[in-house]
Amino acid sequence: MLADGYRRLARAGSLAATLLTAPGFAQAAVSAEVKGDRELGEYLSAQCTTCHQISGRSIGGVPSIVAWPEDQFIAVITSYKEGQRDNETMRTISHSLSLEEIAALAAYFGSLKLTGQAQK
Amino acid sequence: MSGMTRRSLLGAGAAVVASAVTAPAVIGQARPRVVVVGGGPGGATVAKYVARDSAGAINVSLVEPSAKFVTCFHSNLYLGGYKTFEQITHSYEALTKNYGVNHVRQTAAFIDRDEKRVRTTDNTILSYDKLVVAPGIDLKYDSVPGWGQEHEQVMPHAWKAGPQTQLLKKRLDEVKNGGVIVMIAPPNPYRCPPGPYERVSMMAHVLKASGRTNCRIVIIDPKETYSKQGLFQDGWETFYKGMVEWLGPKVHDGLKSVDPKTGTVVTGFETYKDCALVNVIPAQMAGKIARDAGLADASGFCPIDPATMKSAKDPNLFIVGDACIPGDMPKSAFSANSQAKVAAMIIRNELTGSRTFPPRYNNTCWSLIETDNAVKVGGRYEPKDGKISAAETFVSKTGETAELRKQTQEENIGWYSGITTDIFG
Ligand SMILES: Cc1cc2nc3c(=O)[nH]c(=O)nc-3n(C[C@H](O)[C@H](O)[C@H](O)COP(=O)(O)OP(=O)(O)OC[C@H]3O[C@@H](n4cnc5c(N)ncnc54)[C@H](O)[C@@H]3O)c2cc1C
Repeated sequence: MLADGYRRLARAGSLAATLLTAPGFAQAAVSAEVKGDRELGEYLSAQCTTCHQISGRSIGGVPSIVAWPEDQFIAVITSYKEGQRDNETMRTISHSLSLEEIAALAAYFGSLKLTGQAQK
Repeated sequence: MSGMTRRSLLGAGAAVVASAVTAPAVIGQARPRVVVVGGGPGGATVAKYVARDSAGAINVSLVEPSAKFVTCFHSNLYLGGYKTFEQITHSYEALTKNYGVNHVRQTAAFIDRDEKRVRTTDNTILSYDKLVVAPGIDLKYDSVPGWGQEHEQVMPHAWKAGPQTQLLKKRLDEVKNGGVIVMIAPPNPYRCPPGPYERVSMMAHVLKASGRTNCRIVIIDPKETYSKQGLFQDGWETFYKGMVEWLGPKVHDGLKSVDPKTGTVVTGFETYKDCALVNVIPAQMAGKIARDAGLADASGFCPIDPATMKSAKDPNLFIVGDACIPGDMPKSAFSANSQAKVAAMIIRNELTGSRTFPPRYNNTCWSLIETDNAVKVGGRYEPKDGKISAAETFVSKTGETAELRKQTQEENIGWYSGITTDIFG
């Protein structure tokens, strides 16, 4: 089952279609096999938690990014990095992340439990 | 407070301890001590991250006189009627209860850098291995001719959140239709570059929504240009036509004086008499404690090492948030929170040997112009050429769809909840 935030993102930008045709998708699928460095992911996650809540609580226009399948997390960040999806904040942050770092983030957030509620 | 000695620095002969040492990491050896001065987005984030991530191995004291923190960020949304005062007020309780941060409800009066200790106004002595100085800004009360601290009740600044914020809202609500509001905008560098202009937008929103469309808001600005200028001017033209007038220095020819008694503002261009409200946002500098400790340079703010957030003047000290010179980063809560995480990582490494990683800095500042119409500016930054340098930046564009502007505001709401949870939750 997709995490709530991922579903929101998928809805907002018909993500699945974008990813299947995007050049980044093949790369992302490969990188999912890279075992993420969780400790690095935990450090990098501090960049995300300025907006995205570690409990997975989603408020306003900021979705939960907690407990997603790792390959989906990697695919979504890669889609920002490569420009299939556009949000300036996400684009800018994704540009600073290597594939190894994206995998590390996926491993870290993927390992967290969703404890917060979605709220509008 | 158990375990805390209270003595003056002058009389200090015996051993002093920072705070209750309940679980030494090694028998007979006290835990390393981190003292953080200032519980804003900068200081409170460092305190939480060091305490949480060291899982009790480091003793963290947060020196902050207030029991609760009122955020300047989204105080403009309070002014605009979109948020209550309670919604911008946050308690330190989670920091103390969940992470074991020792909240010392005092003002730091003196930093003894040689002895590595801090004295508070009630003469509590806090010894530190690492000190974080995050006092935010002080206002330069002598930077606006005719105005001073004694006039802030009459001509509020509301640039430090709390009673001033409530006063500004009250005064705005009292403005009669047809009244003239003057904002004296600050010179660079100051906290929150788009803040004055978002505030003007919120003032105009409140006036318009209550049918007071004959009011005029005049901005007397010492700067030739300002943050998100095209976006704000476009927004004012679209939503508040004829209500907002921005005057740069070439036009107003300098602010000559203000007279709080009569509500007068005199510029080289025009004299505004009987103003219904004058919002004076003066020039700014690092908080007194940082300046007194010799951490500031001639600019009034504190130089840092961009890779670590250490003071350029003392390697045992870190300076985060508005008090530091953040290179290309703006002075914002987002920046302060981002800088704090780099400082926390370095502090833990130096005290407990935890891993270090390359520093990452980010910022985004959202501004609300009218209901469901927000814009943003931001970027990512890295240490380069001796400062925190912009690696990539962005800003919203004029002509964006209403849907995108609404999404941007939803993001703004989500960000506020996220960052305040990250700092205080
Ligand atoms: C109107 C307005 C709107 C804003 N909007 C935004 C926004 O939308 N987004 C954004 O990111 N930023 C925004 N900002 C900027 C943001 O509020 C500041 O950049 C941020 O608060 C800086 O955090 P800080 O921790 O450095 O300082 P501060 O928030 O000023 O906190 C400093 C703390 O230190 C304490 N202190 C000072 N001296 C001592 C001492 N000697 N001993 C103990 N404690 C001390 C103070 O009590 C205070 O609690 C806005 C600012 C304003 C004025």
